[in-house]
Amino acid sequence: MASAIILRSVTKTYTRAGESLRVLDELDLQMQGGTFYALMGPSGSGKTTLLNLVGGLDTADAGEVIVGDTDLGTLDGSQLAAWRARNVGFVFQGFNLLPVLTARENVELPLLLAPLSKAERRAQAERALELVGLSDRMDHKPRELSGGQEQRVAIARAIASDPEVLLADEPTGDLDRTTAGTVLDLLQRLNRELKKTILMVTHDPQAATYADQVIHLDKGKLGRIDDNRAAAKRS
Amino acid sequence: MPWQLLWRNVLGHPVRSLLTVGAVAVAVFLVCMLQAVTSGLSRTLDAAAANRLLVQSAVSLFVDLPLAYQQKLASIPGIDAICKWQWFGGRYEQDKGGFFPQFGIDPETFLVSYPEMTVVDGDYAAFQKERTACMVGSDTATKYGWKVGQTVPITGTIFQRTDGRPWEFTVRAIYTSTSAAVDKISLYFHYDYLRESVEQGGATGPEGVGVYMLRVTPGTDPLTVQQAADALFENGPQRVQTTTEAEFNRQFISMLGDVPTLLRLIGGAVLFAIFFAVLNTMLMAGRERTRDLGIMKALGFTDRTAGLLLLAESLALCAIGAALGLLLGLLAEAPFAMMTAAFLPGFGFDRDTALLGAMVALGVGMIAGILPGLRAARLTTVDALREVG
Repeated sequence: MASAIILRSVTKTYTRAGESLRVLDELDLQMQGGTFYALMGPSGSGKTTLLNLVGGLDTADAGEVIVGDTDLGTLDGSQLAAWRARNVGFVFQGFNLLPVLTARENVELPLLLAPLSKAERRAQAERALELVGLSDRMDHKPRELSGGQEQRVAIARAIASDPEVLLADEPTGDLDRTTAGTVLDLLQRLNRELKKTILMVTHDPQAATYADQVIHLDKGKLGRIDDNRAAAKRS
Repeated sequence: MPWQLLWRNVLGHPVRSLLTVGAVAVAVFLVCMLQAVTSGLSRTLDAAAANRLLVQSAVSLFVDLPLAYQQKLASIPGIDAICKWQWFGGRYEQDKGGFFPQFGIDPETFLVSYPEMTVVDGDYAAFQKERTACMVGSDTATKYGWKVGQTVPITGTIFQRTDGRPWEFTVRAIYTSTSAAVDKISLYFHYDYLRESVEQGGATGPEGVGVYMLRVTPGTDPLTVQQAADALFENGPQRVQTTTEAEFNRQFISMLGDVPTLLRLIGGAVLFAIFFAVLNTMLMAGRERTRDLGIMKALGFTDRTAGLLLLAESLALCAIGAALGLLLGLLAEAPFAMMTAAFLPGFGFDRDTALLGAMVALGVGMIAGILPGLRAARLTTVDALREVG
């Protein structure tokens, strides 16, 4: 069973230049495991902050963030790091591959934290790259790849350690429409075939149609949730 | 620790890494050379014989003592050999830019007083018998290709021949030395040949003796002899200063100033400069990798690993620099030893010097890596990723 994500009365406030800004305001939200969610809302509505909290990159000021069986608020810095390594894969807008490593080495990077032999790491990284259709680009460095290929390597890196949750922050923001479609198809396939729970931040309504449900945030609070599956059935 | 990433980062900026490694290599080389000189001085002083005393003018080493002093010194109990030393200051005709010391000595008492010296070619007895013979150090003989039986022309600068021609010495023995206190480059000839030439008008130059070496008999306290020698000439005609061989060497070296302190200051300045160069490189590397560090932390690497990655990179650059610097030092040892053989026969690039060079480089790497390492460890993942824009 894929991990469910539960947020209870989550509050997050940032202080910038002496001013406090409440980004998430007692947010309650429950997401089912194995579902593809799109997270939408205007700039400053708290989308990326929510993603960071669910991914254990940041901690809430108040409330609970529970992913699977783990209450992230109970973990310290190194426990959170270890939890991230096992349970979450990240896909960023700017791809965020390490430029000095090849595609294969980038994908192998999170596997260094798993108890695997060198051969096992290599095999697992190659499988992940095959899954995203890049078996012929394994030894290329990021600068030798197109934007779409870079993002597919980033997705391969995110799934290499087989996490249950994939978090994607504007994964198609830097891509053209066609390439974005390829990446979104891939994410949808990972959700449907491998039952990954996916939470994707996007500004693009077209990208959001790939998700099962679309969560709308507004000023740190939950707006509405659209169910694309129900809409598809109706039509 | 992702070692592969560490090496890729080092190689990722080849020019910058090469310049940093080069700077560390030069610094390690300099520090090792300075240390080799300092420890060479110590070795030279430590190797000095305790049973040899040197009597010189109390005014200055450059003022000669009367010839008649030898007889008076011989009357002091506890002395079993006296040998005159006179600085000749000549130049080899075929290599006027080169330098090796030449001394007029007493062949009868010279070799027995210096058991550290061994004749490796020719015959000391032949040197002793022949008035114009000389004995040369093995390094000088090798350098100029001198063989036993060959005549060597030396032009005097202090002692000049009146016919305008160079002095001619026949090589009868070649010696080597097992002690850091005795060099392998000097040329020794008969003091009497020099004296007679001056007395008979065949040459010009000061009459007298530069230094008298007194060899103390076993069981005699050298201090007693030292005090007796100084007391003997307390009322003139010329006062003397008697010192142990170690003290004499120390005074000779101190004529150049406080060499060890000077060398340590230079070494310290070099280290200080190189520390900032490495620190600058590592701070730049740390700032450039903010995004990469954020990604690594997002993937599950700990703050500690992120910090250690930069620290290890700093150590790796300095370790490569140290290895190159030590290699340079080893390659330069022989030519440098040749250059300094006259005043620093103890010069040598030993294990302790190499160890010091390596420790210094790793110390610089460690200290220069701590600051960017701490920054990397303290960086929050969200802030690091936000810096991407």
